Amino acid sequence: MDLLGPIHDILVIFLGSVLILGGLGVVLLTNLIYSAFSLGWVLFCISLFYISSNSYFVAAAQLLIYVGAINVLIIFAVMFISGSEYSNDSHLWTIGDGVTSVVCTSIFFSLITTIPDTSWYGIIWTTRSNQIIEQDLISNVQQIGIHLSTNFYLPFELISIILLISLIGAITMARQ
Amino acid sequence: MFLLHEYDIFWAFLIISSIIPILAFLISGVLTPIREGSEKLSSYESGIEPMGNAWLQFRIRYYMFALVFVVFDVETVFLYPWAMSFDVLGISVFIEAFIFVLIPIVGLVYAWRKGALEWS
Repeated sequence: MDLLGPIHDILVIFLGSVLILGGLGVVLLTNLIYSAFSLGWVLFCISLFYISSNSYFVAAAQLLIYVGAINVLIIFAVMFISGSEYSNDSHLWTIGDGVTSVVCTSIFFSLITTIPDTSWYGIIWTTRSNQIIEQDLISNVQQIGIHLSTNFYLPFELISIILLISLIGAITMARQ
Repeated sequence: MFLLHEYDIFWAFLIISSIIPILAFLISGVLTPIREGSEKLSSYESGIEPMGNAWLQFRIRYYMFALVFVVFDVETVFLYPWAMSFDVLGISVFIEAFIFVLIPIVGLVYAWRKGALEWS
């Protein structure tokens, strides 16, 4: 276990730098489709972060929902923009840009101040999942599956009804 | 806390599978003779004279394919822990998951009957 610490640090630094580069690409690239693909790359790197911190189910969910679903929707939405709107008027500083930058920097600094103050190991779920990992390496996702299909049976079926409602609603809205 | 050794094969696979396309593009970029011309830089459309720009607006009806895909993609997230614990759980949970899959299939049939899956 002595060697694993530095490898973990190197991996986190490498992933973090790739993530920051991807985020800068999302903001700075002028072509919208390139920034949409860059956003997909950033979300993929976040899922690798989840794998390196032992939460495999969250990584799979991140890959399926954010990279698979939301990013595909964003890319489709970019594809519906007509080609003439790729004009180079991105150098203008509008009011919306100012408001967005103020909000983003305030969120950034509030996160920086709150993350060191929070005692993450005091949360019950974190310690309990650590105990599960120590007991059996595979059972983390299995525990979610067992709980989902026995204790939370009714919400599990309600999810599929919600998906059905959203599918029918989306089709009827898109047909108009 | 951090269990890297479990994913050694995964990282090796990731590195190899990302090196292969990089090498393919690099080798073809090094080997190809570069002679640029207006005819050569135009986009290839099966020998037919290309019309207009490549950056064109797509029709809005293709969005429905994305929406149908997203719904079943979200469904997969909930089927994944069930599939992982399939050997622990019994036949009754299989019927639960069958109902879970069957309800969005009603939506798929609705989309099919409404013509949302027609490509043209």
